[in-house]
Amino acid sequence: MSVRVRNLAVDYSVSDGTAHALRDISFDIPEGEMLGLVGESGSGKSTVAFALMGLLANNATVTSGSAEIHGRTYDLTRPGATTALRGRGMAMIFQDPMLSLNPVFTVGRHLLEVLRRRHPETDRKSRLAMAEDALAKVKLGDPKRRMSQYPHELSGGMRQRVVIAMALLAEPTLLIADEPTTALDVTVESQIMRQIIGLRDRIGCAVLLITHSLGVVTSYCDRIAVLYAGERLENGTVGAVQAHPGHPYTRMLLDCEVPLERERLPLTTDNRFTVIAGDLPDPRQRPPGCIFNGRCDVSFEDCARIVPADYPVDDSRGHSARCLRLRSPL
Amino acid sequence: MTAAISVDNAFVRFGDTAALNGVSLEVPQGGCFGIVGESGSGKTTLMRAVLGLQKLEKGEIRIAGRVLGTDRGGLKQRASIIQPIFQDPAASLSPRCRIGMLMDEVGTVLGEAREETRGRLNGLLRRLGIDPGVVDKYPHEVSGGQARRVAIARALLMRPSIIVADEPTAGLDVSVQGDLLNLLQDLRQAENITLVVISHNLAVVRLIAEDAIVMRQGVVVEGGEAGALFSAPGEPYTQELLASWPHISVRQ
Amino acid sequence: MKALVGTLRRICSERDGRLGLLFSVVVVLFALVGPLVSPSPNAIDVKARFEPPSVTHLFGTDNIGRDLMARTSAGTRYALVLAVTIVLISSIVGSLIGISAGVLGGWYDRAVTAIFDIINAFPPLILAFALIALYGTGPVTFILLITVVFIPQFGRMARARAQALRSQSFIEAERLLAVHPVTIALRHFLPNVAGPVIVLASMNLPVVITFEASLSFLGFGVQPPKSSLGTLIKDGFVSINQSWWPTVSAAIVLAIATLGATLLGEALRRVIDPKTTGVR
Repeated sequence: MSVRVRNLAVDYSVSDGTAHALRDISFDIPEGEMLGLVGESGSGKSTVAFALMGLLANNATVTSGSAEIHGRTYDLTRPGATTALRGRGMAMIFQDPMLSLNPVFTVGRHLLEVLRRRHPETDRKSRLAMAEDALAKVKLGDPKRRMSQYPHELSGGMRQRVVIAMALLAEPTLLIADEPTTALDVTVESQIMRQIIGLRDRIGCAVLLITHSLGVVTSYCDRIAVLYAGERLENGTVGAVQAHPGHPYTRMLLDCEVPLERERLPLTTDNRFTVIAGDLPDPRQRPPGCIFNGRCDVSFEDCARIVPADYPVDDSRGHSARCLRLRSPL
Repeated sequence: MTAAISVDNAFVRFGDTAALNGVSLEVPQGGCFGIVGESGSGKTTLMRAVLGLQKLEKGEIRIAGRVLGTDRGGLKQRASIIQPIFQDPAASLSPRCRIGMLMDEVGTVLGEAREETRGRLNGLLRRLGIDPGVVDKYPHEVSGGQARRVAIARALLMRPSIIVADEPTAGLDVSVQGDLLNLLQDLRQAENITLVVISHNLAVVRLIAEDAIVMRQGVVVEGGEAGALFSAPGEPYTQELLASWPHISVRQ
Repeated sequence: MKALVGTLRRICSERDGRLGLLFSVVVVLFALVGPLVSPSPNAIDVKARFEPPSVTHLFGTDNIGRDLMARTSAGTRYALVLAVTIVLISSIVGSLIGISAGVLGGWYDRAVTAIFDIINAFPPLILAFALIALYGTGPVTFILLITVVFIPQFGRMARARAQALRSQSFIEAERLLAVHPVTIALRHFLPNVAGPVIVLASMNLPVVITFEASLSFLGFGVQPPKSSLGTLIKDGFVSINQSWWPTVSAAIVLAIATLGATLLGEALRRVIDPKTTGVR
């Protein structure tokens, strides 16, 4: 069951006007795949997650957008549109696992609670067995003892594993992971990402991974969507986008990454780093033309006038970007 | 040549956990020295001990060959040799003081005439690409990137021979982290400064540091020339760290 | 100056703040304007004892025919001057002691905290009785004694703030630049402690006003023939069988003054220290 999000737009009312956090965001996540939604601060990537979960702040309004999950279409402009899906059709992993865990409940109680909602027909004994099994699946050692521990007795990585185990038991259609490894060390990050992938493969859900790290996306995701200042600039499989970025912003972002394999000049001061010059546009007043115009290194006159549509890149399937240079010559 | 910083068998304990468990190292003068490690490795405690913000339980730290005291004279000496760049440099500017006043404070410590401080400051700000008019502003009135540069200018105004940068790229977007790194590279080239970079970012340390150490649980796991250290690590922990680093090379 | 106007505007943007400001202004005007529109507060007129409110005596007269409007006004003025002086001195002294304790730490910090605890261990009124019994009731002595009672509150708050600030990177940056400790305390700690101290001071103003009134009511405060709100209530209370008016008029002024100062203090806290307002 694939997940489709169409024309999502979110406004925030701020003290001096309306900030457009998201404009016309659409993406698909095929069943059993992981989409990496990358963007820098101010891109609105977390707003996407909150809009889908119906957890937006009070001063935010969804002005348009729908989501197709599990074969049903939800109108996201309606408050509480996806409430019924929480914990069943949709699960979420936050950057801070304590947002999902109640500090006064044991690990076991969290897991049993998920099962009680998800499988009301089962008895306590089989639920206990399922919960312990889930902890073992996310490679949390000694599941029996963990069941009676409280969140504060666990490390950050272990807490995140508990949240993943909860998602595993909830068997969602869509798993949203918002910066799940940002607060963790790289060695733990790779373990947690492997657990998320393991979860996806076990229950065949679609995963929306929201992150600022291109490295995480290219290492672990199937597809990528690049967000900039509230607009989705590029969309495609990780391989296609990495090999032939359709949008200059994507190319520049990739250039900014510092790979471990990069050539190291022996005179270390010669090793320079790439920068994207300029600032984000004012979210209250979208400039005319392309949103990236002004920071782009290949812009031309039309870029300041015409808002680019979503053009296909290289005719490869599902790879598109919003850049006027991709317009087919008239 | 005496080492810029030499740490000998340093111990620091917080409660039951040993933050530094017998750390010894030598930071050579000039060049860039990298300290990498994950959270809880003790790299931040080591930095604080070197700066004099953290007392050692045991061991000794020499800055430019001298053990510096915590009395007023020792503090002044230390300040004129070693200066920090904090993880969030903008937060190292006192929020209720104009930037100009913060800069003049440095002149007062150095016992320098105000005109002379301001003269040197203007040169520094120009080099960092900041309008000298920034002195009339409060820290919250300038952008995050500018505040970062102002904080660095303030540290440089002290004319230190060693700069210690704590996680200089943490929390920065990739599109702007390069800007700060290039700036640090420029500074190293222009002044004869020893740069110590504490970071979890292996890839960055590998490129900017001549020498580096890897820390874990208060212990130096291994160290050496950065290029060799990261291309052929000897210890399993370093190998694991490198293997976990997300790879972004184009897979055709 | 701009900050002051901004703060006032934000105080006025809510009902309680407007009300508090209005009451406070009324009380201050009453204290200032009273002497201009009524006769001397100490002029005795035995023919006009216990007169009800009239055009010549807006608040009536007391047991020896003194004009109550003039006496209440003088009493209010006296109460305000006392309260403001006490709060001002205790907040400044308390902040400096608290900051120095928070900055220096060690045995000095422990000693200061211990002294604060000892002062706080006594009920404030009892402590004030004891101090006044020991040192007398002159106005200056009175101010100093009450100041001592209120210093720990400010000291504790300033100390807690200073301790929190001590580990902030901007304070560490100052230390690592070897800036003189006194400069650090006055230039970098003090302004960042000032906000909450101002709020606490404004909330303590009504407390000090009632405190002074209580002491005066019990005969430990202002001595005759000077009047304070407390002595007025007491004198009226003694002759309440002949006339209830003196007690009530002074009590109403006291109520308006404390209510106004409380509302204003609360509003100021919401403006300066929005964190404590909580999230709805």
